[in-house]
Amino acid sequence: MPDTEPIARSPIRIAGPAQIRFGWEVSAVRSTAALRLGDRTPLAKVLVRAAPEGRLAAALGVPFGLAARDDHATLVIGSGPGEWLLVGPPGSSAELAGRIETADDALVSVLDFTHGRALLRLTGPDGARALAMLCPVDLADRTTPDGAAFRSAVAGLATDVVRDDVDGTRSYLLHCERSSGQFLFDALLDAGGEYGIEPDGFGYPENSVQLFEQVAAAEADGSAE
Amino acid sequence: MSPLATHRLDPQPGELLDRSRPLSFTFEGNPYTGFAGDSIASALAAAGVRVFSRSFKYHRPRGILTASHLDPGCTVQVGDEPNVRAAARGLAEGMAVHAQNAWPSLRLDVRAANGVVGRFLTAGFYYKTFMAPQRLWPAYERVLGTFAPGGRMSGAVDTLAEYDQRYAHPDVVVAGGGPAGMGAALAAAQAGAEVMLVEQEHELGGHLRWGGPAELVLLQDLRAAVAAAPGIEVLLDSVVVGRFDGNWLSIVQRDLPHVEERLIKARAAALVVAPGLVERPYVFAGNDLPGVMLGTAVRRLINLYAVRPGTQAVVLTANPEGDAGVADLQRAGVEVAAVLDARRGEDLRRALGRGGVTGVETADGRRVACDTVVTSIGWTAPTSLLNMAGDRPWYDPSAARFRPSDDLPEGVLAAGGISGDGTVEELVEHGRSVGAAAAAGHGAAGRPAALPVRAHPERFRASTHGIVDYSEDVSSKDIIAAAAEGYDSSELVKRYTTATMGPSQGKLETVNTVAVLAEATGRPIADLGTTVWRPPYAPISLGALAGRVHEPVRHSPMQPWHEAHGAAQLIAGAWIRPDHYGDPQAEARGVREAVGIIDVTPLGKLDLRGPDVPKLLNLVYVNKWSKLAEGSVRYGVMCAEDGVVMDDGVTGRLGSERYLMSTTSSGAATVWEHLENWLQTEHPDWQVHVTPLTTYYASINVAGPRSRELLARVTEGIDLSPEAFPYMRVRTGRIAGVDECLMWRIGFTGELSYELHVPASYGLQAWEALLSVGADLGCAAFGVEAQRILRLEKGHLIVGQDTDGLTRAYDAALGPMVKLDKDDFVGRPELFWQEQLGEQTRLVALQPVDGTIVPAEASQIVRRNAIVGRITSSRMSPTLGRSVCLGYVEVGLAEPGTVVTVLLPDGRRIAAAVQPQLAHVDPEGERLRA
Repeated sequence: MPDTEPIARSPIRIAGPAQIRFGWEVSAVRSTAALRLGDRTPLAKVLVRAAPEGRLAAALGVPFGLAARDDHATLVIGSGPGEWLLVGPPGSSAELAGRIETADDALVSVLDFTHGRALLRLTGPDGARALAMLCPVDLADRTTPDGAAFRSAVAGLATDVVRDDVDGTRSYLLHCERSSGQFLFDALLDAGGEYGIEPDGFGYPENSVQLFEQVAAAEADGSAE
Repeated sequence: MSPLATHRLDPQPGELLDRSRPLSFTFEGNPYTGFAGDSIASALAAAGVRVFSRSFKYHRPRGILTASHLDPGCTVQVGDEPNVRAAARGLAEGMAVHAQNAWPSLRLDVRAANGVVGRFLTAGFYYKTFMAPQRLWPAYERVLGTFAPGGRMSGAVDTLAEYDQRYAHPDVVVAGGGPAGMGAALAAAQAGAEVMLVEQEHELGGHLRWGGPAELVLLQDLRAAVAAAPGIEVLLDSVVVGRFDGNWLSIVQRDLPHVEERLIKARAAALVVAPGLVERPYVFAGNDLPGVMLGTAVRRLINLYAVRPGTQAVVLTANPEGDAGVADLQRAGVEVAAVLDARRGEDLRRALGRGGVTGVETADGRRVACDTVVTSIGWTAPTSLLNMAGDRPWYDPSAARFRPSDDLPEGVLAAGGISGDGTVEELVEHGRSVGAAAAAGHGAAGRPAALPVRAHPERFRASTHGIVDYSEDVSSKDIIAAAAEGYDSSELVKRYTTATMGPSQGKLETVNTVAVLAEATGRPIADLGTTVWRPPYAPISLGALAGRVHEPVRHSPMQPWHEAHGAAQLIAGAWIRPDHYGDPQAEARGVREAVGIIDVTPLGKLDLRGPDVPKLLNLVYVNKWSKLAEGSVRYGVMCAEDGVVMDDGVTGRLGSERYLMSTTSSGAATVWEHLENWLQTEHPDWQVHVTPLTTYYASINVAGPRSRELLARVTEGIDLSPEAFPYMRVRTGRIAGVDECLMWRIGFTGELSYELHVPASYGLQAWEALLSVGADLGCAAFGVEAQRILRLEKGHLIVGQDTDGLTRAYDAALGPMVKLDKDDFVGRPELFWQEQLGEQTRLVALQPVDGTIVPAEASQIVRRNAIVGRITSSRMSPTLGRSVCLGYVEVGLAEPGTVVTVLLPDGRRIAAAVQPQLAHVDPEGERLRA
């Protein structure tokens, strides 16, 4: 019987030196390039399905096509009609799922998607231009502002895209079937070449003081390592 | 040593040359020099070169006509790249330039003999001559192929050339960066619009660039304003090649340093078409001789490239631009021997000379010596993009050209010269008005009016015949002959003579073609109209159309291990899978004798939840599902509505209302859509959620007599004893330290086997742990090929391999599974009918009598010469030491022991015996139930 804790691995090859954080093998690279592409697969991802007009939908409060953070700093993405993806700190899947109130709706499905989806973050002022090399959706602010969520083909691959700016800098979360994560990562790196894109390692999740504190606290008491 | 630049002028105010950067190149193997900023054609013209190519059909010598990207006489080969437009392509150091359509040389082209027999090569010659006898066509084709025009491809793949694409959603796209286009872009941007300004030349400015001092000042002001304006993206050396519904525009961008060409797919709220006007050639005898050129060509050569076009010129002019050309020629030191003013009724009759112009004969019979003939006789409005938007241009005799209608479609506007005439200031102002309207989204009512036109003589052809289409070598005689043969409309003449079908796509030729046709038919030009322009507006490379090809691939979490261990890769749909690790027969033996593991992650997996899941399963599977107990797994077959086998797999019940369905690897997406389709369209009241989980789990099949022993070493929380965990059951537990793993006991290989589903991020860990702790048990990885051998030995069919698009459940020996006593299920009516009709063919196991022969899959099974079946799967069985097969035979041949004849691809016929059951190995199933 193996006597060590299992190590989770993303589908995306580690760029540069590797380190273990939150039980995941991740890249330790920190890029300061204006356009950065990071692997965020370790973030917890929970899929929720319920009636689009039901009580759970009202409680989640995020309609299809939008994304917003809730009181727990969880990113709630309206990823489809009657479908939401919750994104939180690594290792928080059970906690995220536990918060879903299922009693009031006739049928609710709550599934841990952490290991089923690759999650990338593309950050930088030229992010839209790089993404426009691969994605036919209008990425202008008027059409897809911060907080917009949509599903489209990116490099010919069915991909969910969330505009999730980081401290005022344009940023996109992209997630796809885990098996095509490396393909999507490579395609985005290729598309961002003329904008000086660099791979970025797995730091703290961006865009949320609360989330940062949550992860830092987990790290401090050892529960996330 | 390079020839002297005998025709190079002193620096000109608007020239593009960087005289501090001389460039060396060769033309037809001879060395030349030019400057950075030169086009290939201008550098050659500066050295006095007048012949650049031979014509398409008659191989007549051709020189500069337009000195622009439309120039039909300046198409050359540069290195390996054919069909380069020499008058538009910038000169580069070391270019090796060759003429096209010339053999053995540009000076002496033996195919020019075509010109001698030209009277017999009229329009339709090839159609009429080579139609019969049909058997000789291959010979004709070979000979005619040697006359095919154009350059030569090297045949090597240019791995350095890169093409890509991007999407854009600008508010306004302005097609044309002349004075009106720049004005439109500026006004639109000032109104807050995001603007894409697309210019086909290397720089903005249009005809301002070869204008006088005032035009050059205006040019600099406009360029500075465009550069300073926020919201304008300028694309140079780029062109809008197509306009489709909803202003979906295809734009080819060529001004990028790192890619050859980029195809931009733009969805624009408004399209402003501002290409200016294209100068129209004049039809007269000798009008294609080197030395005959348009007024705008002369002005480009002198003002942009500081090239003196000739030494002695005769000019035919009908407009102020032609007059300005005369002034430019005189300023450049060219002796203007005669100016014929069409506005006063003066005309040319013919140009004299053989390899180039030596003089002209005027309409009144005078002969004037010259080496250059310049015509400025009228304009064509390039309305192609407007045409693609549905507009039909109308002929305005007062302007002697077709013009856009006043009823342009929503979101499409015309600005500047294409709309009408005016001073440069008026063109800019018109552009501004149109740009502002485009940004404001005004409908037809809010659009600025078209510019007025100034009177222009209607002059298309002299009293002699000449070339109408330079690219296709179509003369006015050809068009008149075509009309006489009944091809009396613009569209018919185009197709019969190929006039307007060359690279310039009618921008030089359309008006003259229609005018000559009007003359031949006696019908007004306005009645004949133009042909319909379609995309592309300008030539486009196949590379640009292809763009960067994205072909998504899928990898399992164990892919790094497979690669590190030398797996031969198998492409299965988008999945990359390990076919084998060197010896699939040994891998199969290892499974039969000990234990092996295979990566089966691509197997489709669907999470089914809700109280009505049993109803859904009963609907989509042919067998029954109401009594599937928790912890149990059942094999199911899915048929389409026509009873054809669609997919198969096992479904396990994990909880009271939770199930996991597995599908074939290739069928995962199809089955998901199938289930959703039935739920959403027929049974929206059913409480079921279907969620794909294929890549949530890394799936590993552990197979072999020692598989239980292996799993006992890595499993916690699951009792693996046969009593506690029998065949066709599912359990949840901890495997290799990973929680929440699923374990099914099933047996595709025919061995005691377990299918593990591990959260994918831990898949590699579990895989390596199994191999590590099982080393002493002989545990080894096996690939898809070994799995195929093992399942064939066991007689398990593969949907798609042992079935096809016509195989119904009864054909595939799946009859016992079909429960027609169910109320309903997908395919039931057809299967009911088939059951009544009886089987026609049946899937059986076959063994060749000579067990050393493995018949190729798809080999026919024949009775004498009639096809009575086929082999669907065949392999050499390492367990039996002989070949084994699955195949279909007519039902009359399906009895065990029947010997059938298999026709091999090499023509041999072998005997094969039908087996008593599908399984060649362990037909009783003792091994998998162990």
